[in-house]
Amino acid sequence: MKRPFRILITSLGFLWALGSSLSVYATTLSEIDVSGGALIYERSCLVCHGIDGHGDGPAAFYNSAYSASRPRDFTVGNYKYRSTPSGELPTDQDIFRVITNGIPGAMPSFGGLPESARWKVVAYLKAFSQDATGKKPETVTLPEPAIPTSSASVAQGRSVYLALDCHSCHGVDGRGRVGLTRAKELIDSRNLPMPPSDLTLAGSFKIGPSARDIVRTLFTGLDGTPMPSYANQLHGQEVDAWHLANYILSLSPSN
Amino acid sequence: MGLTLRDHVKRYQPGFREIFGLGIVLLVTSFPGWTPDAEAIPPFARKYKVNCNVCHVRWPRLNAFGEQFLENGYQMPGTRDGGLVGKVRLGDVTLDDVSNYIGFLFDVEPLTHSTMRRDVPGAEDQTELANVNLLRMFTAGTLTEDVGFLMDITSLFGQSSDFELGRAFVSFNNLGGMNWGHLRVGRIDPSAYFSLATDRPQFFPVGPKIGSPFGPFGPSIQRWSTLFGSAAASKFYGIFDRNMAPIFPISPTLYNSTVEAGIDLHGRPFGDWFLYQIGILNGGEERWGDTNNSKDWYVMTRFDYAQSDYFSANLSGFAYFGNHNAKVLSGADVSRSRYGVGARIRYRWLDLYGSYTIDRITDLPNGMAATFDDTATGVTIEAHAIVTDRLLLGTGFNHMDAGGELSQRKSATFLSFQARYYLRSNIALQIRNDVNLRDAEGGTSPARNLRNQVVTNVAFAF
Repeated sequence: MKRPFRILITSLGFLWALGSSLSVYATTLSEIDVSGGALIYERSCLVCHGIDGHGDGPAAFYNSAYSASRPRDFTVGNYKYRSTPSGELPTDQDIFRVITNGIPGAMPSFGGLPESARWKVVAYLKAFSQDATGKKPETVTLPEPAIPTSSASVAQGRSVYLALDCHSCHGVDGRGRVGLTRAKELIDSRNLPMPPSDLTLAGSFKIGPSARDIVRTLFTGLDGTPMPSYANQLHGQEVDAWHLANYILSLSPSN
Repeated sequence: MGLTLRDHVKRYQPGFREIFGLGIVLLVTSFPGWTPDAEAIPPFARKYKVNCNVCHVRWPRLNAFGEQFLENGYQMPGTRDGGLVGKVRLGDVTLDDVSNYIGFLFDVEPLTHSTMRRDVPGAEDQTELANVNLLRMFTAGTLTEDVGFLMDITSLFGQSSDFELGRAFVSFNNLGGMNWGHLRVGRIDPSAYFSLATDRPQFFPVGPKIGSPFGPFGPSIQRWSTLFGSAAASKFYGIFDRNMAPIFPISPTLYNSTVEAGIDLHGRPFGDWFLYQIGILNGGEERWGDTNNSKDWYVMTRFDYAQSDYFSANLSGFAYFGNHNAKVLSGADVSRSRYGVGARIRYRWLDLYGSYTIDRITDLPNGMAATFDDTATGVTIEAHAIVTDRLLLGTGFNHMDAGGELSQRKSATFLSFQARYYLRSNIALQIRNDVNLRDAEGGTSPARNLRNQVVTNVAFAF
């Protein structure tokens, strides 16, 4: 027992000393590298988003090969979860929020990273897209005041749901069941299948389950997916977005 | 201490538990509305609100993200998030949300059919119903930042005795800096970070069949099929643990044990391309306690490449040095050691991996050399393809060049096929077929008498 035990203790001591010396080096490097985001990205994000940010990391296939959600390709700049108009880049806060909260079902929260580290990652992600630098994205303006839910609002929302043709993707009952022909038409920016969300499940609302989150999504759309922005259709009738959100939330009783 | 084969098996007698278990499975799978939501699956998935496939190629084998999560002591890669996630704050008190920490695994074989060789006396084809293969309750998570834990209580392979403690350890993570050292203390599975981790078999393990009466070397095996793969197996005939209970040739042992008491340190101090692991174990195959004054120890290194294009690969090698960790029939202590290499490649839908191990027994008593082969080897190669989001197909090859008592030893070679259909990412219907490639060599050995075995299986985790 004695000999292997000595070897183990010696090895532990060596590794500890090595680790401590490297720790000093890493701290210094972090201070020199102002963004510091690359190191954090490589540890926490690369395995899904890939070293070049294409969303093709070593683990990306298993969660996304055949169904959404798929890791973002940061290099093309079409972020799904934004507060900005369709086609625009997200705000820094949008990216920070996703890193912090995660995406239900698809991406875990990285709230375990210190806040300063998360902001460094935001800066690093923006650098993947040339268009993402030097622009100051503006958030969409939501209609105010919010309309609280009521049976009348839900009924009005149902009318809007049909008028905006939401049912062509999400189905009349909101369960997202569409025929094969329609399903083949629903593809994302990578030409991969993108089944519509089941609006009766609370977990379907990736950006958040509140009426405000849904209204925001109606105005921003989900870029890179078949879900468009309805800003133009709702122009002049913006308040209908609240009725529609109330109707959609009524489909998932757990909300 | 690895769960020995004797722990794993019993002579099949359909009982209340099996029938009740099958009933539960049929009930649950028949009514999808009763099953959990996709987000409501085992503890880590619940805790982090993600699907199983975020961490798994397909449950139970891990993908690169899951491996990093495991290495980091059940914390998100690159974080020390244990102090934040899955907790409930009540004023100034922080409590764990218990539902995020408890999980269950259940595995039942509704139908098994074994085709035996016709020329073996007494060997009859058998069809068995509702054999409960695995029941496991486990709790795992983080106690606070950089302190994780896991404990499981398991009943394996229809064992008639009660549940027993499996893995149970506390991990202290990120010692000295992020990823530099993670220390596990307790009952651990040493091979967790190896290219072929024993306890995450994509081919669901099928226990052998034990016969009676007990012979001089313990209960006789009527037939066997591959358990956790030949590379992980004991490979020796005629060796015993410290209590003189037989260690069966197909039991996973040493570095590849499913559970053994000890201390383990691993980390990636030089970046994601290199992993080291060193540890010290009891190694005495003891269920409780540690009467073995001579400890076993091991070292493992692993080299990884994982950057983009849905591709990852790793190559690993280990050396496990045993010290008086087994006995022979005379009661004399012997030392079992193992050396092995493993590799794994994942590219899009393909998961290919394998391992080759060499086992050596030293300190044999004088006079045994003529009747005892002190060297054995095993190889396991498996490939799986994710054909659709729900369907996984696989094939595997296992070869054991057995050692031990020359009068008993028989090498074995099996070819396996498996189809696994996931009703949901946490519920799998499976069928496995094992073909004995050496049945034509004759003899009554359990390694030879089985021709073919088909096992159906339903497994779920929640």
